[in-house]
Amino acid sequence: MPSPPLPAVTRRLPPWPALVAASVALFAAAAGAAPPAAPADDAVFLRRLTLDLVGRAPRPDEVVAFVADPSPGKRALAVERLLADPDWATHQARSFRDVILYRRTDPRSAFMAEPLARFLGARLAADASWSAIARDLITATGQPAEHGETAIIMAQMGETSDIAAEVSRIFLGIQLQCAQCHDHFTDRWKREQFHEFAAFFPRIVIRPTGGQGPDRFEVASFDAAPRALRARKAPDNPRRGDLEHEMPDRDDPSKPGTVMAPRFFLTGRSLPTGTPDLERRHAAAEWITSPDNPWFARAIVNRLWTELVGEGFYDRIDDIGPDREVRHGDRLDALAAGFVAHDTDLRWLFREICTSEEYARESRSRASPDRVDFAANCPQRLRSDQLFTQLLDTLGIDEARATRRSGPAADARQAGRFGGPREAFARVFGFDPSLPREEVVGSIPQALVLMNGPQVNAAIAGDRPGTVLARLLRTEPDDAAVTRALYLRTLAREPDDDELRTCLDHVRGGDRVAGFEDVFWALVNSAEFVHRR
Amino acid sequence: MPAFQPSRRRLLGGTCAAAAGGMLPWLPGPGWGTVAALHADELRRRHKACILLWMQGGPSQFETFSPLPGVAGGGTKSIATAVPGTAFAEHWPETASVADRLAVIRSMTSKEGSHPRATYLLHTGYLPIPGIRHPTLGSIVASRLAAETGAADGDLPPVVRIGARGRSDSGAGFFGARWEPFEIGDPDEPPANTAPRTDAERHRRRLDLADRLGTGFAARLPQEAGDHRDLLERASRLIHSPAMEAFDLDRESGAARDLYGAGDFAAGCLLARRLVEHGVTFVEVVCDGWDTHQDNAERTAALAGRVDRPFAALVRDLSDRGLLDDTLVVWMGEFGRTPQINPRGGRDHFPRSFNAVLAGGGVHGGSLVGRVDSRGVDVTERPVTVPDLFSTFCHATGIDPAVESMAPAGRPIRLVDGGSPVLEIFG
Repeated sequence: MPSPPLPAVTRRLPPWPALVAASVALFAAAAGAAPPAAPADDAVFLRRLTLDLVGRAPRPDEVVAFVADPSPGKRALAVERLLADPDWATHQARSFRDVILYRRTDPRSAFMAEPLARFLGARLAADASWSAIARDLITATGQPAEHGETAIIMAQMGETSDIAAEVSRIFLGIQLQCAQCHDHFTDRWKREQFHEFAAFFPRIVIRPTGGQGPDRFEVASFDAAPRALRARKAPDNPRRGDLEHEMPDRDDPSKPGTVMAPRFFLTGRSLPTGTPDLERRHAAAEWITSPDNPWFARAIVNRLWTELVGEGFYDRIDDIGPDREVRHGDRLDALAAGFVAHDTDLRWLFREICTSEEYARESRSRASPDRVDFAANCPQRLRSDQLFTQLLDTLGIDEARATRRSGPAADARQAGRFGGPREAFARVFGFDPSLPREEVVGSIPQALVLMNGPQVNAAIAGDRPGTVLARLLRTEPDDAAVTRALYLRTLAREPDDDELRTCLDHVRGGDRVAGFEDVFWALVNSAEFVHRR
Repeated sequence: MPAFQPSRRRLLGGTCAAAAGGMLPWLPGPGWGTVAALHADELRRRHKACILLWMQGGPSQFETFSPLPGVAGGGTKSIATAVPGTAFAEHWPETASVADRLAVIRSMTSKEGSHPRATYLLHTGYLPIPGIRHPTLGSIVASRLAAETGAADGDLPPVVRIGARGRSDSGAGFFGARWEPFEIGDPDEPPANTAPRTDAERHRRRLDLADRLGTGFAARLPQEAGDHRDLLERASRLIHSPAMEAFDLDRESGAARDLYGAGDFAAGCLLARRLVEHGVTFVEVVCDGWDTHQDNAERTAALAGRVDRPFAALVRDLSDRGLLDDTLVVWMGEFGRTPQINPRGGRDHFPRSFNAVLAGGGVHGGSLVGRVDSRGVDVTERPVTVPDLFSTFCHATGIDPAVESMAPAGRPIRLVDGGSPVLEIFG
């Protein structure tokens, strides 16, 4: 059966402010029962935006100044300021690192976390486009510790089919791997198409360099197999020495498979067998990122929109494609076209989404029965890096010092081999950012760190010299002022009247120090603290 | 025995008294105090359980339970066992003495010779696939038993892993955080962050305050607030639960410690027995170091010295306590090792034929499954694949291996991917 044609490609930049306005009106009308949520208030908006863009909560002085600022353009200005903040690149690098490494098929690649974040951070800080970053990741060679761009290859330990599946998932949002063994059940992809795509990657090799530690590997091309290697195949690696990708015989995997020539399933562009590794991979990178392939832009637009607005144009962040139902496809296409017209500039995309009406709305529970797409923002559990940074800021702990000593979750024996307290924390609080957020739930060990961890409890103490609370209680005699300060530090907002009264009632009952320790504890252990709403 | 940790004694003494005094009225639910209240016999009737003794690195079949003296080099001798005609390698005298309660499978076979991929395979029954994280055996067993029999409703986490040292790649996968293994680094220490920082009464005051302060958030975001509150309650129940004594090895007599012997693995096995006794469904105890590419003979002897006695003690102890019929004990690693000795005196990876041992869970003691050829290379009789082995685990724990769950991308995935149980080892 011939494949149905792919949707027409938008080649001309649409008149897109008009398009956006039209689509907003359209779904406002469609909303019917549940009208779109009101805009979030200033403090909620600033915390959301700061966490989303730079991975931390706003400081008390930032909150106070922002709320007090009467100028109508302050939200757009805040977006600009945070996009220009060096922490934007650091934070987004960590996010994309998680996108790649949470699905690694080889746990030995855990050490790639640091070089990958370093690579992504440097590229984002230098304003590299998403296309350029994709090209770097697809065509990478060299020692992993020095070349973080080898991460997709290292995460799959060089396995041809796994690299193909991950490149497709990460950059196209298309889950092709089902077609590795059989024609896709629900989508159009044929088994041949998977293996033709895999044929871009069979000549990647991870070989030992003779060094020690993470430097002991390098990612290289393998374009001429020594005869000896081909003749004597290892029993546990029958593919060793092959220069071309073979589609295994489905009925008898022990038989030789069919040699596949590289061909890109979305646009049909192809290369002959015999093409050298880097030529193949550069071609794959070029064709994947080319403007005539709409899925490259749609995938990242859908990913960031889902991340920032809380729900996406598709049910899944990384399972989109021509056979998946899309919601508000016009909105998606407008954003994708704008993104392509702006040379796949990620800051542009963040700016567009963060200054949109949908982004600015109040959050509603994901489970609300009257849910209408994009009628409200959705609360998100903080990612491990956001929560860790926020926790340190709240508790007044310096990360560099904490790294030298030990951090909130750093049970030395569980800390594992890589990294300091931030990484130890991520082993408890981390989650795969490609999962639907309704599948990301808290765990008992997470709750134990915050409610019962020795470091957190030492840091919220009011009677230890040098803690945030001890300083506050010493310098501020007014209980209401202490309460406000704790709210600003912890939740980046002022308490409302009920909250203030509840805290003051609690404190006045007895010991002032113990009372405020309880307040601080309750705020750190609140649902609000671990979510961005 | 290692030095006692005073913090733990304080923790357990204090909180048990508080619980007994009924000072924790804010903790609702049937889980609270059930372990203390229920008679152990009732627990035993209710709970199937499984203990996995995981030999990380790929244990040599020849130096464990499939000796081939004189054929597979290395000089390891064999010894007789409690089962006439079945011999073990010489370093396993204690386990040999309980061989009549074990089923030894000598015909395990797979194709996966890389540690991480094979470890994943033998933990989940599946090879790694991009985009999907399969649930580990413990998460499968615990969640299915909970669904079918209501197990795992107590205060303790249903899946515990001891001594894995940060290895984190086989967890609950798409089954979700509820079934994530609860990691214990050192079996002689309380689990991380479980020692209460305040007395129970103050903890309750704090939770009450958090509840009152959270009403505004809960009014706007009820789902998130409810989930969070549930989590705080479960965590609070855990740290103040009388069942936390399950983690306290100092409650064991000197005789029990002697039975299991010295070392982390022995302590882990004893802890596993305590946890199962207290209603935990699945415990994995890890012994690392089996990747013997060099000095195979010396290293396997030393490793056997760490595992032999606690393994035998665990089987005997569970049996003496009437727990063995409902507790499946599994000894295995990710693959076996080559029949040839390499130039460094080691054995290399060999998934083509290896072994695994089962006990309890209805397994008929003294069973011997499969054969390999005289050179120790190929399985010649009754090959057992990894899906066959996982089907066998399901049979022993009463789980239907054909149950499908929905993985990401809307893919239905069976608990076990085909295979059929090794029925001949069940009495």
